[in-house]
This record gives sequence, structure tokens and C-alpha cells, in this order.
Amino acid sequence: MNDDENKKNSYNVVPGEPVGVIAAQSLGEPSTQMMLRVFHSAGIGSIITTRGIPRVMELVDARKTPSSPSTTIRFNEAIKKDYEQVRKIWKSLEEITLMYVIKDFEENFRAGTLTFILDKEKLEYYELTPKKIFTKISKMESLEASTEGEYKFIIKYRGKGKTIYNMRVAFNRLLSSVLFGVPGIKKATIHQDEKDKSFYIITAGSNLEELMKIEGVDKWNIYCNDPFEVLEHYGIEATRNIIANELIDIIEEEGLTVNFRHIGLIVDTMSHSGKIKGVGRHGIAGEKESVFARAAYEETVKHFINACVFGEKDFLKGVAENILLGKQVNVGTGIVTIGIKNEDLKKIKPVEIEQGKKKEE
Amino acid sequence: MQAEAVNYIKFTLISPEEIKKLSVAKITVPDTYNEEGYPIDGGLIDQRLGVIDPGLKCKTCGGKAKTCPGHFGHIELVRPIIHTEFAKVIYMLLRSTCLSCHKLLLTPEKVAEIKEDISNFAKSEDEEDLTLTLAEDDRNMLIKQLRTIKKCPHCGIVQQKIKFERPTYYYVGGNRIKPDEIRDWLSKISNEDLTLIGIDPGATRPEWFVLTTLLVPPVNVRPSITLESGERSEDDLTHKLVDIIRSNQRLEQDIDAGAPQIIIDDLWELLQYQVTTYFNNETPGVPVSRHRTTKPLKTLAQRLKGKEGRLRYNLSGKRVNFAARTVISCDPTLTVNQIGVPEKIANILTLPVYVTLWNIEECKKMIKDDKKNIVNIIMPNGLRKRITDLNTDDIIKELKPGIILERKLEDGDFVLFNRQPTLHRASIMAHQAKIMQGKTLRMCDAATEPYNADFDGDEMNLHLPQSLEAQAEERYLMQAKDQLLSPRDGRPLLMLQEEELIGLYWLTKDDTYFEKEDAIRMLASVDVYELPKADSNKKYSGKSIISMVIPKDINFEMQGILGKIEIKNGILEKGILDVRAVGASGALLLVEIYKKYGSDITAEFIRKISLLAVYTCSYMGMTLGISNYYPTVKIIEEREKIINEVFDKTNKLLEAYKNKTLNPLLNYTRKETYEMLVLAQLDEARIMLEEPIKKYYTVDNKAYLIPTVKARGGISNLVQITMALGQQSVRGERPSRGYKGRILPYFRKNDKSPQARGFIKSSFFDGLTPIELYMHAMGGRDSTMGKSLLTAVSGYLQRRLIHALQDLYVIDDFSVRDASGSLIETIYGGDKLDPTKVKLIENKK
Repeated sequence: MNDDENKKNSYNVVPGEPVGVIAAQSLGEPSTQMMLRVFHSAGIGSIITTRGIPRVMELVDARKTPSSPSTTIRFNEAIKKDYEQVRKIWKSLEEITLMYVIKDFEENFRAGTLTFILDKEKLEYYELTPKKIFTKISKMESLEASTEGEYKFIIKYRGKGKTIYNMRVAFNRLLSSVLFGVPGIKKATIHQDEKDKSFYIITAGSNLEELMKIEGVDKWNIYCNDPFEVLEHYGIEATRNIIANELIDIIEEEGLTVNFRHIGLIVDTMSHSGKIKGVGRHGIAGEKESVFARAAYEETVKHFINACVFGEKDFLKGVAENILLGKQVNVGTGIVTIGIKNEDLKKIKPVEIEQGKKKEE
Repeated sequence: MQAEAVNYIKFTLISPEEIKKLSVAKITVPDTYNEEGYPIDGGLIDQRLGVIDPGLKCKTCGGKAKTCPGHFGHIELVRPIIHTEFAKVIYMLLRSTCLSCHKLLLTPEKVAEIKEDISNFAKSEDEEDLTLTLAEDDRNMLIKQLRTIKKCPHCGIVQQKIKFERPTYYYVGGNRIKPDEIRDWLSKISNEDLTLIGIDPGATRPEWFVLTTLLVPPVNVRPSITLESGERSEDDLTHKLVDIIRSNQRLEQDIDAGAPQIIIDDLWELLQYQVTTYFNNETPGVPVSRHRTTKPLKTLAQRLKGKEGRLRYNLSGKRVNFAARTVISCDPTLTVNQIGVPEKIANILTLPVYVTLWNIEECKKMIKDDKKNIVNIIMPNGLRKRITDLNTDDIIKELKPGIILERKLEDGDFVLFNRQPTLHRASIMAHQAKIMQGKTLRMCDAATEPYNADFDGDEMNLHLPQSLEAQAEERYLMQAKDQLLSPRDGRPLLMLQEEELIGLYWLTKDDTYFEKEDAIRMLASVDVYELPKADSNKKYSGKSIISMVIPKDINFEMQGILGKIEIKNGILEKGILDVRAVGASGALLLVEIYKKYGSDITAEFIRKISLLAVYTCSYMGMTLGISNYYPTVKIIEEREKIINEVFDKTNKLLEAYKNKTLNPLLNYTRKETYEMLVLAQLDEARIMLEEPIKKYYTVDNKAYLIPTVKARGGISNLVQITMALGQQSVRGERPSRGYKGRILPYFRKNDKSPQARGFIKSSFFDGLTPIELYMHAMGGRDSTMGKSLLTAVSGYLQRRLIHALQDLYVIDDFSVRDASGSLIETIYGGDKLDPTKVKLIENKK
């Protein structure tokens, strides 16, 4: 090995290095400096997303429903610089409920009716007609719709048990039914990329399945911050990258830096089984092989009891269980053992020591 | 160092027969001591179970309190009792087996299918003694299926619904089944059936879930304490065991007397309760068993569980000897690698000197000449001796390899230094001890960053590792000077702080010159005994003085916060050494020196420049007074102007809001929009207020110098002192809670003006009005609460991360593995680079 190569190798990790602990500390230590604020908006009127520690917890726990899912939609070459086209798509994204296009409504519980008048301007804006709405409403369960004039609707409750509660539930369901837009998309805003001047849309709420169907959307450039949504449509590798990306984003937003190797290792551990596992008691830490490692973490009694029932064995390979027994740990300098050949062992002769003088046979 | 190798630990249940075999005494008396204070035979402190009183001897092994390991006893329960911790497993088994023939509710074909599955799996495994069962998921699936089977495929009997009620009631088709019936049922399930659903019959027979004998732990597991008054106080477990025996006796008597079934059932129930709480006093659905003082009893499960439980408190965390803890303070004369240890501590803590063939003469000399320095000698049989004037000669004569001398801590010994919370690996580092006068531990303030320490009363811990292996790790892996770069992002952890940066500013700015005497004095304090070139006035520039401690052949250029920094051939030619060069925002110069010359020279460099900086500070006089903050007329004028301007804008917004001409932002209500816009406007006021400060203050004012060189705080602190505190916030919004529609009755209802919602016009210099003080307190409380919550949340996050990732390590082919050997990453980080050293390579490019 020449000097150059030697120097190059000196930058490598040392075998045995407990990289897991270092990664955990590297994410844990700056988290004491992060903010606890749940919400943070980048500017006035933009999409609000969860940030800071709560978001880190959400990602690292692999929670099934993130508190603020969001999607960034980019478009095909053809239309991405055409504002009007993008705006047209944008208009069709946000979900519009019946409540939103109503001018005025009245509930009459004695008669069991709901009367409302549609807002003409809003209907025109979203290219809806009373007819479309009528066909949509008439499909609903236990409600009977009729019209009076063009814009006035009368809904009659036809379900079981004409109690106020039942009627209220049915009416509310009707009013919050989605007429238009992509279900799950609560809000959308148009942004312009500063570099290539292309337009893109950021949404609050996510629904990759529907969004990918929209014509003009670049399927390979869509970005969703909900790992499980991505897992369903793009697979485990994409999900791993999403989680890592989101973590880095949040950390850097606070003005902190963490080397990607650490984040990468954390997400690799979360995803190496092909599923996304959180780090907590229902994930990696709770599914360890060692009984002691699990018991030392959380739910001590449960793990011991189950270990007895199923006759589990602890092979004492991890860190926690060896600390528990007072043994040397199996990482770092602990992996080093002295090896000696059998024939060499025979050559060693016992040395008698007497008053500081060696007496060899 | 390890005496024995443990290959694995298997968890099993103890059968009643085994309990009896283990037991040395059958416990029958629900009492502890008799009137004479002597343990009762057959009582809970029976001397056969071991002894804790000094002077008594164990009747089983003959050992005394310290040598007897303790022996188990047992209680024979008159009626079987369900072990509540297994209640759910019992329920599962009852539902999976036939209520008549007690066979698994599976057809023979299905059984064969599962067996084949298992044996297929077995072929791929080499291990022979591996007890083969279904994978956990498959097992759970199978159990779920078994629940739904209505008719037993073996005897054809229709299954009835089995219900389980907390804590220990089981019903078959509405009729309760008693523990003895359950025990019978469970004992009839065959071993073969158990293996199919994953239970290892070699480890556990299900009938053992229903107890007939109860193991009584030895007395040294539940020692009684003698109070000062001479009264004895028994352990919680002993109390509970007394209750169990009592209930057991009552039940036995009533059964023998032929009492009616209802009474027997009641007593049975009571015994069940006592045993349940004996195992776990927090069992859901069971009332908590309490002391007379209403304090809940701490029974078996509580002993193990949680942060203060056996596992986390005593087994994962261990107490150590050879440690010290006191207050820390700083000493700029120390290098980052040194630690000042008070004499008092150094005289008590010791390090071992192992006497060998090679150092025996030195050891003899040490005992002869430096007797006071050796505290103990440890003979090969473990006996400790003190060295006195009388036995010195004998000891020297006796000295032979294998004896260990315990010598006091000396200058240059490696010690571990630690501050809690220990958040990352640089929170424990090795330093070289330097014995000093005084009573505090002294450290270099460049080393405060990794520990996150300050000197306002912080205490830190000192450890002296005793084994040679540990000492080698200190020396080669843990030294503070080698931790210059953080493994988190490769940035420096050791750096100059606060007033050293101010000192460096004064020292290295262009117009600083020193007289000859001053220059000599300064340089002598950092062991430099030659002078740089004087300039034409026979004066010495600050730059030339600092250049004397910069390594000679370094060429370096960088952009500092106050301009370009140029070092040519080890001489600072241009620029001011600032935070970017040596402080918290990069310390690029330190990285450069570390890369080029290694850790020793870097540590020396840090010591020298911080000494020079501190010297300059005291030479110049770094003082602050109220005059530094006195707002001038101009500043007050500017403040009025800015605040009026902002208020005008907010008033316009308010008007628009009231007239309903304010256009709501998309998907926000008009109210939310107004709030957002006003908040943005008032936040802007804070930034606008910084302008006049920048305009009218100069670096001659030390109050302005401090934030300018980024020694401490920001200009916003100066704004708050001299101009206005600005908008207070509660949960990221303007304060809004209090009375209905207003915060204080001083305001009108629904007053949305800035002042009514926590905007403070006064500065700390002016003093706050009562209303403003209230608003400020609201904001202050919010941030204090937030901080304390954050530490709890992030502490838990860190604990979970560590537990999830602690087993991962790099093996010699640079792949990352976990404890079971599964592959996490094929090559660590994709390029096997150490994140600590990444910055060194990047800088090269």
C-alpha cells in the first residue's frame, strides 16, 4: 500500500464502529435545540405543515396518518411553463364540498327537511350546474331531493328513526360531500421555480392515486411527504428516500446540520425488512430478537411473560443484554478477540517466577 | 476479563414439582418474628430461607448474612389460583381447544399441512436443537382461525362461546369455570398440540399457569429494616405474603369445617386477589393493594418495571467507584486536553500500578521514597494493606509480581470527564489531570461546547478507569484533543468562546499596536520568548503578535464575517480572526491546522490564542455599564417613527377588516387573514428597529461590539434593551386569552390593536408599564413551559433512537449489521467514509 492509499483509507470508518449509536446521537443531540412548535408557515397564505420535533417524531415513529400530508406536483415539459394550463389543473384540485357552494340553508326538524339555495357565482366558477349536483345528491342514502326553481333545493329525510340526531348526521354528511376536485386535497397553491421558471403546485392533503391520473402531471416528479402513501405507489426504496429527505429538510430548516450517513442509516434500519418500521415499541425496538433488550426498553413484564410461554432463548448478541449481564459489549473495541493457533499454544511454556527473576525450563 | 461464557439464556416456567424441589421450607405461619424478636419457624423470615441479621446463621447452608445466597421456600395453596399475568394466554388456549376432548380445533389434514410447513423450514436450517415453530405472524393467523371454528373436528361437539372477564373470570357459554376446572382442561392439552401453536412444552406446560404452589423468595430479596426506634418494618413483599398465607389458612379452615359453597367461593376469590396483587399491583381491573398509610404496595412487577425498576435502574445502569463530582470553573491556561483536579480529590482517587517483573524495582523505589503517594497495596489474595512507617521494609521484601499498588492521581494521568445529559459521545472525553489548588474542577473554556457546560454552577463527573484496557481506550480513542471534529456533521466541537472572540477582534484589527513591554509580557505568557518585527514607530502590531503563535508554514485564506482573512507563511497579513475562523460558525482555521499538524498542535494553538485574547481583553478593559445602552435622542425619535409607521399599517388593516373590504386569503377566514397579516407586520417592526441601531452604534460601544463579532447574543437583544421589546407571542400567535374578547379588563372588548394583543412599545431601559409587564410575563411563561416540555420530548426521542439502533456496527467488509447479523447497509453510507472526517476531504477539493 502506498502513502496515498493509506491516507485514503484513514478516512474510512473503523470496523466495529457502533455506527447505530452514533447515528442515534447525531439525530438526538440536535433535537434538543429544535423547536417544539407544531406549526410553521413559510409565508403568508402558504400551506401549513407540521415541523420541528413533532414532525421528526412522526417520521421516525412511522405513523400511518401524518398530521399534515402534502404533495408537490410538477408537470410535463409541455405545460409546465404555461401558467394558464397549470391554473386550470389547480382549479380542479381543491375539493369543494356542497357547503361551500351554498348561499343559505335552513333545517326544519319537525318536517325533516333541509332547504338550501345554491350560489350561482361559485357554481359557475367551478363549472358546476344544479343538475350535476342534483344527480349527485339523489344517490345519497336515506335522503330524497327535489328542486324548486333552478337553484333552490329541498331535501327530505327518509331514513329510520326521525330523531334530530339522525337527521343532523344525515344532513351534515350531505353538506360535507365532495362535489368537485380531488378527494383529500384540502388546499392547493401555485408556485414558480426560480431556476427554470416552471410552475408547480403544492397541496395540503394527499391522494397520489388520483393526482397521478390527471393529464399533464409528471408522475416521476411528484413528491408526497406521506411515507405510506408513497410506499403504496412507488415502493420501499422511494419511501426510504422520502423519510430521509423529510428528516434532512426539517433539521436544516432549524439551521442545524446532520451528516446524511446518519439519517441514511436510521431510514435503512427502518426499511431494510421491506416494510416501514418505526423506532419505538411497536417497531424496531419492540421486535428485537433479545428478550432482555426488549424488556430493558419498555413493557418489561409483558416481554418476560411471553418469553416464558414460548420458551424463548436470548443469545446475548446485542448491546443491552450484555450490559445487563455485566459482560463486554459486542461492538467497538469489544469485537476484538485474541486468536491463537492451537500448535502455537503448545509452544508456550509456564514460567516460574521467583523473587523477580525469570527461571525458564 | 470474563470469567465464564454464557451461550444463551432460556426462559421457562417452574413447575410445581420443581418449586417443591427448590424449596427448603414450607411456609405455614403468617407471621415473621415472635415476641423475643426471633424468627418463627415456618414463618416468612424462617432461618432456613437465609439470614439478614448479623450474627445469625442460615439453617440451610450455615452461611452468615454476607455469605448465604438465600434459599426459596413455598406455600401450598389450598385451591388453585390463576396467575393473572398469563390470563390472556389461558384465554387463547381455551378458545383454541375443544371444550370436551381438549384437542386443538384442527382437522388432521390441516395438522399435517402445518407440520410439513415447519419441517420444510427445518431443512433450510442447520441447527438441530432449534425448537421449530411457526413464525410469529403465521402463529397469530392460526390462532385467529381457531377462534372461529364452531365444531370440534375430533369429537364433533359444538363449541360454545368462551368469554373472558378481567381479571380472572372465564365463562363457557355463560357458565363460569373455576380455576381447578381450567387447570384440568389445560393439563389435557397434548404436547403435540402445544408445539403447533408455538408453545414449547419443554419449557412450559399450560397447567402451570394455574398455581397450586407458590414460590416464596428468600429473605434477602425482601429484607426487613430496623427503624431507629427499634421497630421492625417489613418489606412490601413480606406484607403481601403474610396476606396470602392468612387468606390461604382461612380458606383451608372453612373447607375443613364444611362451610357453605358461597363462603368458600368468597374466600377463594380473596386468595385470588392477594396472589394477583402479589405478582402485579397494577393489574387492570383489580383494586390496588395498599399500606396502612394508603401508599400502594410495590410488588414483583413494580420491582422490575420502569425507570426506577430493576432492569433500567440496577442492571442497565451501574454504580461505580473511583469517581468524583464537583462544580466546574474555567482556566484559560489549560489546554483543551487538560483538566484541573483539586488536590483533595486527587488525594482520594487512586489508579492501580500492577507489579510485574519489569517494573518491580521501580515499585520498590516508589514505596521507599514516595510512600505518601501510595494509598493501598492489594495482595494477590485480594487483601488490602495500608503502608505505614512500620511495615514499609516488610512490604518491599514481600513485593512480587501479581501485587497491585494503588497510587494517588498524578499530573498527566488520563481521566474521563462527563456532564449530564450525556447526549452524544463527546459528552464523555478523556483529559489529562493536572492537580491544582482550589476546590473546583477546572477546564479550558474551548472545551465547553461538546459538554454544553457553562460555569454558573454546573457540576461535572470525573472517572478513573482502572483496567489497562480501559486506560488504553482513553488514551487512543477518547482524548479531548482528538474529538475536535463532531461525528454529527464533521464540524469542530472545540472552539473559542465569547470574550476570547472580543479579545481576538481587538488584537487582530488593523490599528492595534502594543508597546515593547506589553508585547513581551503577552508573548511570554504563551511561552514565546522572541519578538516579531517592530513597525516604524517601534511598536508591535496585534497581527504580528498573534502571528508568533500561528504555525510557521501555514498558508490560508478565507472569508470572515468582517472581511477576508489571509495567512501567509504563518503570518496573519489581513483580516480579523473571528467566529468563522476560530469560533462557532465553522472554525475553519482550526480545521486547517488540525488537518495539517494534528491534534497536539491544534490544542496548543487554541490555548495560546485564547490566552492572548484574554490578555488583550484585560489590557483593553472589557466592561459594560448602563451608559453603553443609553438611548440617544435620535434613537428614540427613530423608534417613534418606526412604531407609528407600523401602527398606521395595522390600523389600515383593522379598518379594512371592519369594513369587510379585507380580502381573505384562499381557504382562510377573514379573521385568520387579518391575524396573519398583522402578525407579519408587527414581526417586521422588530427587524425595522434593528436599522437605527446599526446606523447610530459603532463598535466603539462594547454593547454593540458583542453581537457584531458574534461573541454573544444578537442585535435584537440590543433593540429590546434600548428601543422596544416588540411583539410577545403565546403559542406562536398574539396573546388572546384572558377575559372574554380581551386579555385584561383595561381594554375594550374585541380591541384588536397591537397594544391590546401583546405589542410592547417600551424598552427594558424605559421599564414596562403594568399592562406590558403582564403581556411580557405571558410570553415568558409560554417559552419557559415550551422549553421544559421540549427537553422531556427530545429526551424520549433520543432514548428510542438509541434503543432501536444500538446494536448496529460496521464489520470488516464495511457492511452494517445488527445483533442478529442481518444486513442493514451493504457499505456504510455508500462510500464507507467516516462522517467525522468527511469535512477534511471536502476542504481539500
